[in-house]
Amino acid sequence: MELLRRFALGEIEAFEVLVRQFQGDIYAWTVRIVRDPGVAEDLTVETLWRIYRARHHFRPDGNFGAWARRIATNLAIDHVRCRRPEQSLVTEPAGAAQPDYLQQRDTRDSIRDAFHRLPVKLRVVATLALVEERQYNEIADALGISVGAVKVRVFRAIRSLRKWLTQAGLNPQ
Amino acid sequence: MVENERELRDALKQSISPVNTELARDLWPAVLRRLDATPVRVPWYDWALAGLSVAALLFFPRLVFVLAYHL
Repeated sequence: MELLRRFALGEIEAFEVLVRQFQGDIYAWTVRIVRDPGVAEDLTVETLWRIYRARHHFRPDGNFGAWARRIATNLAIDHVRCRRPEQSLVTEPAGAAQPDYLQQRDTRDSIRDAFHRLPVKLRVVATLALVEERQYNEIADALGISVGAVKVRVFRAIRSLRKWLTQAGLNPQ
Repeated sequence: MVENERELRDALKQSISPVNTELARDLWPAVLRRLDATPVRVPWYDWALAGLSVAALLFFPRLVFVLAYHL
């Protein structure tokens, strides 16, 4: 509480303590959304800078971690919205390509393509809920929406994915 | 429905590269550089006040003595 009060007053030493305490959490959350360590580091620095700039709006009796995570989430979503469709970062094993392996790779590519066709709002929630398996209430807090809204987005993402994968000849039950 | 969702979840996890969520380095030095690089923003009313002061001095040069006295 005292530390947060000093931070809100603009004391740089207090901010340094908070950065060291929360940078790992902010980075981990950001990299789960943007899925690129270099970009996640840059966005974490940007988040911390914005936090310091907005310190006057922070109430010392509030939850610093939740506030920081919400700022990080907004920045990460903006980044995902602006960036071009990404290239696959999956490392393919060396050696002669086997038919099974090629088929598996095609399947993975189709799933990945379908996933990237999702609107950003759905994709971010689907990434956090389905791939990273984060709790719905955790996602809701970070996005500033209700748990019900998270469930709706997950449902819509699954429905869209299933539809596209069926159209692509893959039949997820 | 739950089983279906589980299968889709597994397929997604196999298709989307996992990420390491451990931060590899301390970001405080980079944050400090970012803070230092931020230009100081002067609010518009400070500019307006400065403009008014200069205008007043141009029209009434003797005000400089009043200003000097108060400074």
